[in-house]
Amino acid sequence: MAVVTNLTWNQERSLQKLFGCVSFSLLYKASVHDSSIYTMLQRCTHQGSTITLIYTDENVFGAFILGHYPQMGEEFENPNSSFFFLLKSGNKERSEISTFVFNRAPEIIKKKLSFCFHNSEFFFLMPESKRVFIHPQLADKKFKCHGYSTYLDCEVFRVEGIKDDLSYIRRITGVTQRRQRLLAELSTYKPTTCLTPEIRILLLGPIGSGKSTFINSVKSVFQGRIIRQAIAGSDITSITEQYRIYSIKYGEDGISLPFMLCDSMGLDEREGEGLCMDDIFYILEGCIPDRYQFNPRKPITSSHSGFITSPSLKERIHCVAYVLDANSINNLSSQMVKKFKRVQEKVLQCGIGYVVLLTKVNNWDEILQDDFLNMNRSTAYQSQIICVSKKLTIPIPNILMVDNYASEREMKPLKDVVILSVLRQMLRITDDFLEDLPLQ
Amino acid sequence: MAVTTQLTWMQEKSLQNCLGGKQFTLLYKASVHGFSSENLLEKCSNQGPTVTVIYGEDYVIGAYMQGSYYRDNKASVTFFAFQRTEISEFEIRIFNTRTDNNKIKERRFGSGEIYYGYHDLQINLNDRNVTMDRTTSKKFALHKSHISFQECEVFRCEDSLDKRRIEDVTLLRKSLFSDMRTYNPCGGLVHQTRILLLGPSGAGKSSFINSVKSVFRGHVTNQAVVDFGTKQFRTYSIKDGETGNSLQFVLCDSMGLGEKKEGLCTDDIFYILKGHVPDRYQFNSIKPITSSHLNYIDSPWLKDRIHCVVFVLDVNSVENLSHEMVAKIKRAQRDVIKCGVVHMALLTHVDDLHLIMKADLINPYGCMPVKLKLEEVHRKLGFPLSNILVVSNYTSEWELNLIKDVLILSTLRQILWAADDFLEDVPAEETFGGSEA
Ligand SMILES: Nc1nc2c(ncn2[C@@H]2O[C@H](COP(=O)(O)OP(=O)(O)OP(=O)(O)O)[C@@H](O)[C@H]2O)c(=O)[nH]1
Ligand SMILES: Nc1nc2c(ncn2[C@@H]2O[C@H](COP(=O)(O)OP(=O)(O)O)[C@@H](O)[C@H]2O)c(=O)[nH]1
Ligand SMILES: [Mg+2]
Ligand SMILES: [Mg+2]
Repeated sequence: MAVVTNLTWNQERSLQKLFGCVSFSLLYKASVHDSSIYTMLQRCTHQGSTITLIYTDENVFGAFILGHYPQMGEEFENPNSSFFFLLKSGNKERSEISTFVFNRAPEIIKKKLSFCFHNSEFFFLMPESKRVFIHPQLADKKFKCHGYSTYLDCEVFRVEGIKDDLSYIRRITGVTQRRQRLLAELSTYKPTTCLTPEIRILLLGPIGSGKSTFINSVKSVFQGRIIRQAIAGSDITSITEQYRIYSIKYGEDGISLPFMLCDSMGLDEREGEGLCMDDIFYILEGCIPDRYQFNPRKPITSSHSGFITSPSLKERIHCVAYVLDANSINNLSSQMVKKFKRVQEKVLQCGIGYVVLLTKVNNWDEILQDDFLNMNRSTAYQSQIICVSKKLTIPIPNILMVDNYASEREMKPLKDVVILSVLRQMLRITDDFLEDLPLQ
Repeated sequence: MAVTTQLTWMQEKSLQNCLGGKQFTLLYKASVHGFSSENLLEKCSNQGPTVTVIYGEDYVIGAYMQGSYYRDNKASVTFFAFQRTEISEFEIRIFNTRTDNNKIKERRFGSGEIYYGYHDLQINLNDRNVTMDRTTSKKFALHKSHISFQECEVFRCEDSLDKRRIEDVTLLRKSLFSDMRTYNPCGGLVHQTRILLLGPSGAGKSSFINSVKSVFRGHVTNQAVVDFGTKQFRTYSIKDGETGNSLQFVLCDSMGLGEKKEGLCTDDIFYILKGHVPDRYQFNSIKPITSSHLNYIDSPWLKDRIHCVVFVLDVNSVENLSHEMVAKIKRAQRDVIKCGVVHMALLTHVDDLHLIMKADLINPYGCMPVKLKLEEVHRKLGFPLSNILVVSNYTSEWELNLIKDVLILSTLRQILWAADDFLEDVPAEETFGGSEA
């Protein structure tokens, strides 16, 4: 018999997705290697982090163990180093996976591999007799797999390419729920003020900083597939040449959400190139219509056919996001900074909300700390954040970080969470400013 | 210490290819699991075929065993050596141990030693050295018969296209097929989505159309003329071989972009995008279509326009694109952007890439050589990485194959999604009259 996993490709891909682009190496398969616990341990110790998979007639489930496989009579140093998962098949393209994190170290007691939550055994397997026990609390309502059962096969894989710190477990087990919660919150979002029923966020920044891609990313998250609507790309002059107001549609029915993202031409440090300063001021006031073709040398005038002479509060910009490539903060020229400052002066004067959005953050999954909130504590980008804050005189809490859907062809739940968190923060800041708006 | 191999991607891949399309699973790494044959056997016995790799100071050598460690003592052994350890320049030498049976292939495990053949090769893990006889070292092209090493790794070898994967890919094809069969353009604004293929001549535009046609026909077809150079504007509707219905998208073939004056007149691109150019229009390299042309479409509707543009390039040509060609493509991109149309790049001939095997086409984007090409296209032509797709066309074979089908279909799906993104965004005043006729 060959040492080949029983997982289907879809199941394997779902697991890979959960663990975040890793690869699995099959080390042990009970039906081939014999089911004694000794053999199992021999093959699985000192292999790094593993997953142990159990196949029953109806279900596939198992446990992830961070670090090393437990050994006979060995005390484990890390109490929260394992979690249970259950693959729910059914969906043809992807299986859903539910998880449960244990808070005690896995142990091997009397030929039994056992996982505990507080003081009770929640999940254990006895390789010799091919028996497994699942606590009812772990089992999904639809899947009747709790209690004792006999399993068909057991496989252990080494998991490669993960960051082996404890926050990793919390991150990946929390991501589905977190994403769901953020989606629910943002899809029912309403501006807190009654001054405007919807919010317009303007993206402003140097050429190629990722403005259009951020819009696509937000749209993608709400649509569940990669969206390429806002044309993106790199060139010496801006790819985006029109002013565009994008509404964000949610779900199958495509309901428009009450916030819009406005895309603009990139700023150039040279005068007479890129977006004109005057155009920016008109955009802020809401005078420029959707699809207006920018001319770097000539700002719009009130005689333009589409010019909106008396825009309502609804049509104005409520928040400006200065979009910057996180990796080129140090190269920000003084001319560019000057342009930003001129805009910022106007923004402050009008009481418009503002944030800085740093894009192209490489280790973006680290932005998401345990509780998903410590956006700015990511050590790698600490210096960049301080630098931006100083250069543009923007308070640190208004600096956000993201990595857009720029190179993938498939959605990643963790990335969704980063994008949604950033969007939520933008909306919160906008709401605060709107509440404070001087009545004119 | 992490259990990861010391082989570079290129080394691992070359070795896998040499062994006939294998996939490796690292089971044992001496520096982590201990330098002793007991430790090796604990991890590697009964795992099926394996590869053992020895890392000497100047050499990387190894052995592929058909049978399991420990159990199948009489299975054949293939030796190999990496001539140089640099990624780019190594060469793998392969030879089998003497072919006459039994006595030679017997392997024994002494205390801390593993023998291959009689005295062909002997690995002593405890002492971290390898001893081999003269013939073996000669075959390895080594000058000594005794080498010491710092690391030893053992991998299990599996066929990269085993039954399980074939079954799963078959399911994927089925679901992609049904997606494409039931595809209808976003919002019902038009009856069929129109995709335009642009690119240098010989890039594989016509071949891609043939490939898509073939997949839906159920056999390889050659309708769009390949190789003779397309001179006409042709629009191809695709028939579903099973139901006989036309699918709800049209692929438009154009004349290739030339280096200088020859090839597609770049001014024509704008007219094609806007829907003025009729099917079977004969291109003229020197001047674009004019409104006086017999079949010029005067007031095109949304349904006549192009909804997504695909720039087709031969993956092997991306390093050698001339300045003129890059400039032409960039200019065409600007025209496309002016029309607000989403555009993508499609790299053909991935099957020809160095080190790429059939099984790699299941997920080509994960392969190093493909990644490097995507980077190059991204740098040179400015396409976002996610807008660059790859495909391997049906060009030389008579029979369809599963893996190519899946790659063609999933590429097509991405393209149609992009077209939908455009259609969703068309301003209301331009949607008039789209779905009729
Ligand atoms: N790795 C990475 N690449 C990104 C990210 N955001 C954007 N990009 C890439 O950066 C390039 C420029 O992105 P755009 O979104 O077109 O930038 P823009 O700010 O709209 O530029 P203009 O419209 O030309 O002013 C594209 O190739 C994107 O794929 C990101 O977060 N991470
Ligand atoms: N190996 C391989 N050859 C291809 C592929 N695509 C196209 N070709 C070959 O490339 C040549 C040019 O293709 P063609 O479709 O005529 O290019 P066009 O000028 O862009 O229409 C033909 O000889 C094809 O057989 C591919 O994906 N793989
Ligand atoms: Mg842009
Ligand atoms: Mg052709």
